[in-house]
Amino acid sequence: MRLVGIHHTHPSGTVALRGADLDVEPVVPTVVRGPNGAGKSTLLRIAAGALVPTAGEVEDAPAVVGYLPDRFPAARKMPPRRWLDHVARVHGVDVDDAADRADELLEELGYDGDDDEPMGELSTGNARKVGLVQALSCDPGLLVLDEPWNGLDDEAADALTRLLGARAAPTLVTDHTGTAAGLPGARLHRLREGRIAATTDPDSVPLPAAPPPGAMMRLDMACAGDPRPLLERVLPPARVEGAAPGRFTVRVPAPDSDAWLAAALAAGCAVRSVRPVRSARPEDRR
Amino acid sequence: MRRRVRAALAVAMLLGEDVGRTEKFVAPAVLYAGVLAVLFGGAPGPLPEPWAASALLLYPVGAWLAHALAETEDDDARTVTLSAAGGPWPVAAGVLLAATAGVAVLGLLAVVWGVIAAWGTATTGSLLDGLLAHLVCGMTGAAVGAVFSRPVFRNEGPALIGALVVLVVTGTQSWLPPVGTAAAALGSGRLGVGPLGDLVVALLVAVAAVTLVVRVEQGGLRAAGHRITGLLARLRR
Repeated sequence: MRLVGIHHTHPSGTVALRGADLDVEPVVPTVVRGPNGAGKSTLLRIAAGALVPTAGEVEDAPAVVGYLPDRFPAARKMPPRRWLDHVARVHGVDVDDAADRADELLEELGYDGDDDEPMGELSTGNARKVGLVQALSCDPGLLVLDEPWNGLDDEAADALTRLLGARAAPTLVTDHTGTAAGLPGARLHRLREGRIAATTDPDSVPLPAAPPPGAMMRLDMACAGDPRPLLERVLPPARVEGAAPGRFTVRVPAPDSDAWLAAALAAGCAVRSVRPVRSARPEDRR
Repeated sequence: MRRRVRAALAVAMLLGEDVGRTEKFVAPAVLYAGVLAVLFGGAPGPLPEPWAASALLLYPVGAWLAHALAETEDDDARTVTLSAAGGPWPVAAGVLLAATAGVAVLGLLAVVWGVIAAWGTATTGSLLDGLLAHLVCGMTGAAVGAVFSRPVFRNEGPALIGALVVLVVTGTQSWLPPVGTAAAALGSGRLGVGPLGDLVVALLVAVAAVTLVVRVEQGGLRAAGHRITGLLARLRR
């Protein structure tokens, strides 16, 4: 799926996109970053088929597209599961299958809203979870998520990171938290003034699929009580960048980070964030 | 094509339930039932004359219903529906389908109420004419309502005024198919293009309305829109 030469002008006359080209990767996530007002949401709306651009082509769009807009708690009187059934039907997928998948996903994301309550009365987090599940449960050929980590608590955010990390199908994400850039193999693109910045722009260089030798990951963790005894005795060695009661940050080599995270989770800690360490100086890479 | 039709039906169900739960259908439905009570409450004349008024009233009521359906979702929720449906076509068609289902129920109510109130005056032919006339008026109204709402009109005021002008002007011309001729045929027995002809014209109007809405959603008429906005701005000066 590709976006070719997308121009878009809003009815108000505001120019949002000026010739954006974007290839959505077939397996790894495609991450679009950029400052506020760069046109990220407009680009995603076009990719999702919710908006027809003023000029340009959306090529090879799949039949089923899962889309989560940036502003989503919808004020509806309908209970969430009724709405999920309706959306599955609009997608043209089997309603019972989609409902089964939706149940699993809702549980994984830690959804705890009332089934009979109108959607408009759900908490922000629960409404966001329903929105995410709506996009994920239809088994989409393309997943378009606009700031999906917004409004989620730590556990739901981690569950979403796991879900997206395990997905091996076209995925287009914008994200200002930096979590998406840490997804395995994620390709970063930078949107600036309505265009995807050229590769000469240092910020837009796509991340290589495998971390370069010597790459480090910064793990921000939460735990119960004082983390020091845990770090000294229980967990594998790591460079501790900061520790406070209930929270600590460590730096570990990228290839070891999964094993380290598993050990920390087994020790009862929770993951707050996992990000690659950006090295400013090239000698750090050695 | 089959997928689009299925998506349109699904959108109609989604919007229909939304309007049902938000009770935005209550005002037009109660208004219609109230007028029916007045029409058929006293001693209505022999059928099908009383149906002329109830069919004609279904014209604005259908527009009201379609407008409520087109505007029931907020803009962000609507992007999800548009994306899930795979484009504007099933959404525009879904609005019209749901509105047609609504006017079909109200039209059936009017026909049945008329038969009971003026017992023994209905013939098989007039019954069929009555049913078709209600459907024709309601469906044409739905087409008008679908055009005078989002995405063609983004502001409520111009949409309301525009819809009222079109409804009054086209609804009062007894020579104009489909609504004028359908209502006039019931009232005075004059035949325009015939009940089935009216239905064909109403279907064409509905298809034209969906096409217009889809074209606007796709930005096809942006140039015309800019010209009109520019003209209005100059008139205001």
